[in-house]
Amino acid sequence: MAAQVMKTPRNVDVEITSFCNLRCAYCSHFSAPGDIKEDLPLELWRRFFTELGRGRIMTVTLSGGEPFYRKDLRDIIQSIVANRMRFSILSNGTLIDHDMAAFLAATGRCDLIQISIDGAIDTTHDAFRGEGNFLKAVRGIRALQANHLPVTVRVTIHRKNVHELEEIARFLLEELELPSFSTNSASHMGLCRKNADQTQLTVDEQSLAMETLLTLSDRYKGRINATAGPLADAQFWLEMEQARQEKRQRPEGRGFLTGCNGAMKTMAVRADGVIVPCLQLGHVILGHINQDDLWDVWQRHPQLQGLRQRSRISLDHFPFCRDCPYIPYCTGNCPATAYTLTGEIDHPSPDTCLWRFLNGGGRLPAVTTSHE
Amino acid sequence: MNENNKKAIIAGPLVVLREEFDDWAVLFDPETGNAFGLNPIGVLIWKHFDGRHSIDDIADVIRKRAEAIPDDMQDHLEDFVQATIDIGLAVYEAE
Repeated sequence: MAAQVMKTPRNVDVEITSFCNLRCAYCSHFSAPGDIKEDLPLELWRRFFTELGRGRIMTVTLSGGEPFYRKDLRDIIQSIVANRMRFSILSNGTLIDHDMAAFLAATGRCDLIQISIDGAIDTTHDAFRGEGNFLKAVRGIRALQANHLPVTVRVTIHRKNVHELEEIARFLLEELELPSFSTNSASHMGLCRKNADQTQLTVDEQSLAMETLLTLSDRYKGRINATAGPLADAQFWLEMEQARQEKRQRPEGRGFLTGCNGAMKTMAVRADGVIVPCLQLGHVILGHINQDDLWDVWQRHPQLQGLRQRSRISLDHFPFCRDCPYIPYCTGNCPATAYTLTGEIDHPSPDTCLWRFLNGGGRLPAVTTSHE
Repeated sequence: MNENNKKAIIAGPLVVLREEFDDWAVLFDPETGNAFGLNPIGVLIWKHFDGRHSIDDIADVIRKRAEAIPDDMQDHLEDFVQATIDIGLAVYEAE
């Protein structure tokens, strides 16, 4: 039976600007469909947030580009607050000062500010993000912490920091005293497509990252997490391997394209006001804010319905999956990376395929989890 | 007799009622980020936190509209109202 769809999504992701003060080599935004030349004016965002308020949306996640690059960001946030919602912001951190942090804290509505930090030292972080930006980002984190805001860090793992993960964890969790941080890796989207050779992990580096992150995750109990990238892959793949060895029956939801549940609870808007299912699926145009009926789009748009029905597609049908012993335990993973690598949304993602990884010479880490 | 039973109740002006499904709703307080699940009877009660209905009034509404009402319905209603007041989602209307 198909899962019921909520009348409106709980969260909406909003790319509030297409502009950024940086050009990180693996940014998923630039060179992607959401990379547009002109931002929408404040007034149109205000109208949109009023509609979100009427739809009883709970949270808005602001990203970009770089959200703090917008001069009118405070007005945008005030509009979110006025419409009885909370907000989170994904940022490179370099434009956040004490004054801005104090403003965010005063709203009382901030759920999270996520800052990108990719190194324990400036040369590593700045390698792909530009000189001087490590110190600026750390200064931004300190300003947020001084104002008691919930701040976290996302570490994008790439070829120049994969040997520095232990130092990064120590820096973030011990020196900066963050409660936790998350990791992913440079994935085949946006600018990364052009810079894949320099940024994307090789199979050996991926193996190393998985092993190191599992060890660190164990050491810093619960303070390192991931929904994508080497740590998430390691956790998921080890579970799959164990299930295969024990010849377990297919668990509920496995063996089909169930890898993403996003279309059931969230939707997104590009900087040009185009409604999309997810910012990583920026080419799937569902409508335009302030023009199309947002809730009609949410409930009935065929492409959104199609994404929700991916979970009915069996992995057995794909030549890509032929002879794979992990099919009964696999979810096919992210539809966006599936699209960027194969041109099809309704396809398993090669990026996170265990069978492909092992056939390419990858090795699963030994299980190092301690039991106290 | 609870002396509060005659007082009108009013929902916090910022509290959001999200009716997610026909049989499930969420009360969301954007000031705290707290969210609480409601079944259809909870929604019916919440919609009467309008400054014009008291616990006794709402109990009458439930008796008229609901089926298979338990004997201790009024106790549950009083507990529900008190819980929403304790967590800052509603107040008794000032006399």
